[in-house]
Amino acid sequence: MPLFSPMRPDRRRLLQGGLALAGASLAGTTAARAATPARLQLSWLHSVQFGGSYLALDRGYWSGEGLDVSLLPGGPNAPVEPPVVAGTALAGISAADYTAAAVNQGAPFRIIGVAMQKNPFAIASLPGNPVRSPADLAGKKLGMALANMPVLEALLTVNGITTADVEVVPTQYDAAPLLQGQVDCLLCWATDLPVAMEVQGVECVTMLLADFGYSVHSQTYIATEESLATRRSELVALMRGEIRGWEDYRADPAAAAALTLRMFPDAGLDPQVQALQAERQVPLMFSELTEAEGFGWFTEETVAANVETLALLGKPVDPGLWDRSILEEARG
Amino acid sequence: MRGPGRALPLLGLILLWEVLARATAQSFVIAAPTAIAAHLATHAELLLRALGTTAWNAAQGYLWGNLAGIALALAAVSAPRAERILSILALFVFCLPLVATGPVLRVLSGPGNAPQVALAALAVYYTTFLPVLVGLRAAPQSWFELVRSHGRGPLAALWLVRLPAALPYLAAGLQIAVPAAFLGAMVGEFTGAERGLGMLTLRALRGLDLPATWAIAVIAALVSGLAFHLAGRLARWLDPAPPALLPAAPAGARPLRLAGPLADTVLALAAGGLLWAGLMELFALPDFFAKRPGDVWAFLVTDAQAGAHRARLAAALGQTLAMAGPGYLAGLALGAGLAAGLTLRPGLAGLAMPLAVALRAVPIIATAPVLIWALGRGAAGTVTVVAVMIFFPTLVACLSGIARTPRAVLDLFDSHAAPGLQRLLWAQLPAILPAFFAAARMAVPAAILAVTTAEWLATGRGIGALMAVSAATSDYAMLWSATAATGLAALAAHGAVAWAERAVLSRHAAEQVAR
Repeated sequence: MPLFSPMRPDRRRLLQGGLALAGASLAGTTAARAATPARLQLSWLHSVQFGGSYLALDRGYWSGEGLDVSLLPGGPNAPVEPPVVAGTALAGISAADYTAAAVNQGAPFRIIGVAMQKNPFAIASLPGNPVRSPADLAGKKLGMALANMPVLEALLTVNGITTADVEVVPTQYDAAPLLQGQVDCLLCWATDLPVAMEVQGVECVTMLLADFGYSVHSQTYIATEESLATRRSELVALMRGEIRGWEDYRADPAAAAALTLRMFPDAGLDPQVQALQAERQVPLMFSELTEAEGFGWFTEETVAANVETLALLGKPVDPGLWDRSILEEARG
Repeated sequence: MRGPGRALPLLGLILLWEVLARATAQSFVIAAPTAIAAHLATHAELLLRALGTTAWNAAQGYLWGNLAGIALALAAVSAPRAERILSILALFVFCLPLVATGPVLRVLSGPGNAPQVALAALAVYYTTFLPVLVGLRAAPQSWFELVRSHGRGPLAALWLVRLPAALPYLAAGLQIAVPAAFLGAMVGEFTGAERGLGMLTLRALRGLDLPATWAIAVIAALVSGLAFHLAGRLARWLDPAPPALLPAAPAGARPLRLAGPLADTVLALAAGGLLWAGLMELFALPDFFAKRPGDVWAFLVTDAQAGAHRARLAAALGQTLAMAGPGYLAGLALGAGLAAGLTLRPGLAGLAMPLAVALRAVPIIATAPVLIWALGRGAAGTVTVVAVMIFFPTLVACLSGIARTPRAVLDLFDSHAAPGLQRLLWAQLPAILPAFFAAARMAVPAAILAVTTAEWLATGRGIGALMAVSAATSDYAMLWSATAATGLAALAAHGAVAWAERAVLSRHAAEQVAR
């Protein structure tokens, strides 16, 4: 149990005891190892999207640092920010726009590392009616999850297109409406729906938003200001493991895909999808910058570009939201 | 399951399904039975493990939820003064949307199955509470007088009169709860689960894996159907025959008053607010995402932007209610109509009930794409989603009500060789009324939950869309304000139903009107 936590441990233990009595099985409460337990809240269900973290776990990079990390899966009703604020997770995988929104609502977050240098959001379309540049969006029906509306608005603003030119159709996060002809294109991650379509034998065109001025760091590591002050060594150890895991991932994405399948036999993962997704996210996570400085790095310039895009998203933030001190210590 | 008479239509149906699926393969909507079978065969182990997880969570939630529903009903009938307050609080809790409760449950419990069990329990307690409450009162006045005349107190009345009277209603509640618990456990997996059928559904939908989506839906439907059937046997064991007597109206039924209900409502709102704030304080939940009533008040009333916040919320609520109303009425009509139809033609039950259970047990995120594909994203699709969500409890409640038609009355009709329709209209329909109104009450929150889901997935309007966007942007003040507004809207609708109920039941089933 961490020394610091905004939620008093005695109360939480009381509740967990109650829930256990209520017949619920609770994982993670019985571990009694010497290593310090730390939870990392992932942003979605287990998949090769977090392959570097699985490699770090599997290859003992965290246990070597004296850290006993558990990776908590996310889901549609499992936002990353609440467990990090509550202190039930030491850190979380968020994205700069989500973090900015949370900070504007009073959450005390800092971004301590950036896994995806290029934002994975893309417009996917079919070759018969392709969207290759933002200008092609005019007059099109765009299917998207409503929660992503600010993403679209920022892309259109950066590229001087008015929102009225695009007809937004709220859809579940799913490629079927595109194939059914309900919409002409989809707003999605380049690494999920297009991969699913390709594995199903449907060719599609993807336009990466990051190539058209949408600069938002994604898969960012967030922690609270208080954790940065009081659980610093754990955060450094966490990021050290992440860096080593993701460098391994880069060297062999196929191994990461294979490990993901092995670690999560109950997750219903498709080997083909995992292998393709593993490859597709490499160019988003690794760049000249990471080549020079290492995984997760960010600079004043990349932060400035983010601040600019986030202002367009209606989420004004201070560059001080990004805190590189943990990465620097991890590297040092 | 007897002879070729039952098997042939089923075979025809599957053949039609196969043809339809193959004809629309390019649309990725319907999986062919052969593709589903192939998926089931190749992924049997994975699916069985997932089923084990989800079914176990559902079973635990089913147990706790039903116990809670029964306990609440007992409390309400033991302290009639508190009944309305308890009912309102139970309604509020039932109205809580997953987008608001999901993060709270997950933070409270950490990793594991607790949120899945909790959501399964939350999905069933209300639909057990209401019918059991009706049942606890469904006894003739003369029986209570008999107990009193022997000098026995209210406890004896509860044990000797009320509990036996409540058993058949409990049976209906237990049946309705089966698919709801299963669905609750699946949806609970959306709060970050390692395994289970709900988690696999998410994966299949995103992966465009149609056979997987449909295979999971088929499993959910079959398992729920089987459990529903078992609960039905339990129901017949609890309630082998219709009652012999017609409950008589008490002398001098009290006239309708408004002051009592109003005072109770104010008390219930105060109690609800205290409970809301108290629980969040007790567990020391950070108010970043666990907004207290005071935060909502500030956001909607005292904040500089309060006017704008209220306007956004009111616009969204208006859109939601415009869809929920017609869907609610359509679902009630469909449920009651189908119950009447099945009474006249009992043979149809074998075909209708499995379909009804299936529609209720499969998560709406899996059924919605098919409905939207078939009906579009307009009003028709939304109204249909709402009707699908509420017609099932209505159907089961009404069927159980029909089974409560007093034997003496049925004998009278039989002795005159009255045709089925007359029997239905004059004997069974009046007997249905208490159960129908219980269904109409439980359908209020169900309709709101259904319409908000459809808004989130298909139309992008209303409270459902507002909640989705608020959650994604950490706008928890708006999320909890929308939650509170939804609860109040449900309370208003519930009040309207209760008013209609009192007006009708004071004439047709006076024992139900709380004294």
